[in-house]
This record gives sequence, C-alpha cells and structure tokens, in this order.
Amino acid sequence: MAQIKADPNKVSWEESAFPILCETCLGDNPYLRMTKQSQAKACKVCERPFTVFRWCPGVGMRFKKTEICQTCSKVKNVCQTCLLDLEFGLPVQVRDTALGLEDNAPRSEVNKEYFAQNMDAHFQSTENGLGSGGFGKAESAGREMLKKLQRTEPYYKRNRQHICSFFVKGNCTRGAECPYRHEMPLEGELKNQNLKDRYYGTNDPVARKILAGPKAGGGGRQFTPPDDKTITSLFITGLTDAVQEKDLKGFFYVFGELKSVVIARKNNCAFINFATRAGAELAFEKAGGGINLEGAALRVSWAKSRPVGAKSEQQKAGPTPGAVMDALQAGPPPPPGSNSKVAYPSQDPTYQGSTSKYR
Amino acid sequence: MPKIKSSRTKRAPEGFDDIEPTLREFQTKMKDAENDPHEGKRKIEALWPIFRLHHQRSRYVYELYYKREAISKELYEYLLKQGYADANLIAKWKKAGYEKVCCLRCIQPKDTNFGTTCVCRVPRDKLEDGKVIECIHCGCRGCSSGSGASAGSAASRKGKPAAKSDDA
Repeated sequence: MAQIKADPNKVSWEESAFPILCETCLGDNPYLRMTKQSQAKACKVCERPFTVFRWCPGVGMRFKKTEICQTCSKVKNVCQTCLLDLEFGLPVQVRDTALGLEDNAPRSEVNKEYFAQNMDAHFQSTENGLGSGGFGKAESAGREMLKKLQRTEPYYKRNRQHICSFFVKGNCTRGAECPYRHEMPLEGELKNQNLKDRYYGTNDPVARKILAGPKAGGGGRQFTPPDDKTITSLFITGLTDAVQEKDLKGFFYVFGELKSVVIARKNNCAFINFATRAGAELAFEKAGGGINLEGAALRVSWAKSRPVGAKSEQQKAGPTPGAVMDALQAGPPPPPGSNSKVAYPSQDPTYQGSTSKYR
Repeated sequence: MPKIKSSRTKRAPEGFDDIEPTLREFQTKMKDAENDPHEGKRKIEALWPIFRLHHQRSRYVYELYYKREAISKELYEYLLKQGYADANLIAKWKKAGYEKVCCLRCIQPKDTNFGTTCVCRVPRDKLEDGKVIECIHCGCRGCSSGSGASAGSAASRKGKPAAKSDDA
C-alpha cells in the first residue's frame, strides 16, 4: 500500500507495490510482466511524483504505464491508466452524472496539493476510496443505468498502438517496420480529448456521446412503435450464449405468430420477426422494458426499416444496417487474438526457463 | 592495419595483399558511416550503420578463414589483432544457435528489463505472422539460427557490397 511520510508539512511521495488498474488496461495475458519505477514521473493530475508501472497488455498492443498517482485514482475511483471508472469502465463524467456525484476536487496548484495530501491521510485511515463507499437508495436508479451502459467484456482495442503521426502527415518513412498504426484518425469531436478534463469529468466528448446515445435514453433507439407499418420486427440486445433460439421463440410466440427469429451471435443481438404488426406491438408493450431469459438481461426495441437502394439488396440476408450499428454499440467484438492458438511466447515453459538464469 | 607504420612495424603475413582492397573498402565505408549526419534519423538509428559494417567486416574475415579456408591461420590472427574483425563476435558464431548473431549487444540479457535477449533473436515462426521487426540495438531484422534463408542477419539483408564474396 501507499506509504506516506508522517510529517504533514512535507510533500508526501507515494511508494506503492501494486497499481490500481482496470481489466482492459491489464490485457488478456494472464502471465503479465510489469516493471516498477519509484517516483519516476509526475502525476498528470496533481503533479506529485508517483510510482510508475509499465507493462505490455498482450500481443500487438502498445506498452502502457500508469499516468496518475494512486491518491488521484482513489479520489475518483478510476483506473490509473485509462481514467475510466473501476466499477463500470465508464468515463468519470458519465458516472458522476448518473450517480449525481459532485466534483469538488480543487484545480489550483497549491490547493490541489493540499487536497491530495488530505486525501492521502484519509485513505491511510479508512482504506477505502470512493468506490467502496456505500451508495444511497437515490443512486440505485443511476447504478442501474450505468449497468446498462457498461461494456460486458473488456475492450482490448483500446490498448492498440497509437496512430502513426507521420503517416497522418503523409511522410512516414518506416514502412512495414513502423510499429504504429497506419490509419487515419477519426474526425469529429472525439479526437479532442484531454486527460485533465476526463479526470475531472468536465467537457468530455466520450461522455457526451455515451450520455446522448441510445442506451442512456438520449434517442437513437426506437421505443415508440415506428410510423412505418411494415415494420413487424423487434430488436433484442444483450444476448448471452446461454440464450438459445428456442428460448426466444418460447418467450415471444405468445404475443403472435412468429415469422422468424434471427440471432447474430457475434454482436450478441437478435431479431424477432412477427407475422403481424399487432403481434409485434403487443410483444413490445409487454417486453419493452427489458426481459430476463436464462439469467441474461435482454433489452428490447423496435427494429429499423432498411434503407431503400442498392445497399439494401446486398444486405438482404443480414440484419438491417441501423440495427447492426446499434448492436455494435451494445457489445464489443471479441478481443483481437483471443482465438489464436499460440497466444503468448511466455506460455511456453522453455521460454520462461531460458530467462530464469539471469534473475 | 597497424595504426602507425614505422620501420619496426612487422610486415603483414602472406596473402594480406589479396584481401587488402576489400578491407580498405570496408574502412572507407566505416569512415563514411561515422561521418554521416544524424539529422532525420531516430536516436536509436544513429549507430545502426556502424554495427552493420562491423558485422559485415567480421563476417568477411570469419568466412575467409573458417568457411572458405582461403587465408592462413597466421594471417587470420594478424587480422584479429589489428582489429579487422571482432574476435568476440566470431567466437559467438562458432557456437550452435548463434551462427548468425548480428551483434554482441543483442545477446546480452543483462541489459534488458526481464533478462531476455533482443527481439531479433526470436525465431521467425515464433513471431506474429507477417510482422517486421527492427531491433533497437543494431537494426537487425532477425538473426536466429533456425529461421532459414529468409531470415539472414541485418548485414546479409541490407545491401551487402557485391564485391565482397568474390575476391580472395
């Protein structure tokens, strides 16, 4: 644990044995090797020196390191590296909005340090951060919403290499050797992110996107019966492997005759196609608030009509494009390399043995 | 070649004249590499050409003596003594599994965080498919012994002087 000097007037220097990290930042490698360097860098929030840990979160990922000190991390209950909430994996702004938490961390230089030291002392005596504190009943609705918003599995794409800045300018000379990604960055609001804003939960474009998104009730998903009377399909998200086609059929056939049930396992979603509009409307009325099948909390919404044109012909067999987008937001794709046969060289015992001599 | 030639300097052994032009060419190349400006290069790239030439020159001497047996033991020892080849590097090449080692830094596990060797020592089939690596010490793209012809050392892949293999 963090050891803090006794004298309250001295600037306390953190010394920790283990980082505070989220599952995604640690990566999918169970045999993780980390380096530790005491007081290696200044915390990017409070600017006090802290212990930096550095590790590679899996094959083809970039090396990651801790960016903020453990005190700052505990104050907000966030991961030391990605600054996302430890419990939900969501941006601070989203969590604070949902739970109605007030941001009272000071921003001025002197006050920041004083605050950090006070928090240090507080954590010393109570041993719990924000996350382990009890939440009132008023927050339970917010917690429900956060549960809906959070990802079901770790999102390892976040650990990929950064985009090659030289490639973006068009003059990367390294070619195939370049370890950075040769892709063009996303345009729009999301590219203007900043660590301090994300930490304090102010002006965070990702949080704005999530809060305005379909799952937070900001529109996007259809909850009222669509005007287009030809739509007789419902869109189910949040599927798990335990939910089979017969379970869905068994649940929905009572509302009306089913034309078909299409399950997209990859995206954890399904379409229930009713024969009649009345059946679909009745089903949505009963199940629109979400249903529970085989232990999975399923969310139900109206499917969207296919756009008319050449594209709709190509995708006749698959789900509607709008629905696919929804499904992509609902659940992350499996991590890269999770299906490869040899995941890590360090899983090879000879590899481990070859190094032991020098430790 | 001795640094300073004087009347007391010993004459080079028999056969030195035959390989001298090649060694001289290496020498000028090394001079050029030493005087090359560093602008536009990454920090770690600066010494790569030096390591590459050093490897090439040692390899040339090594092959002359051990592979083609074109020079005498006397001349070989003279070349080592005069610094035309790196005896320590050649010593590694004689060991099984180290036949193509690019440089001595790449096999020094004490210099790394986890006591491992350089990434260029990893056999090609253990790497991700299609992944191109350049090690940070000497720019080697793979020098493990088992990788076959496709994975030669840095020197053999990157512009080996054409004249080298033919003389002597």
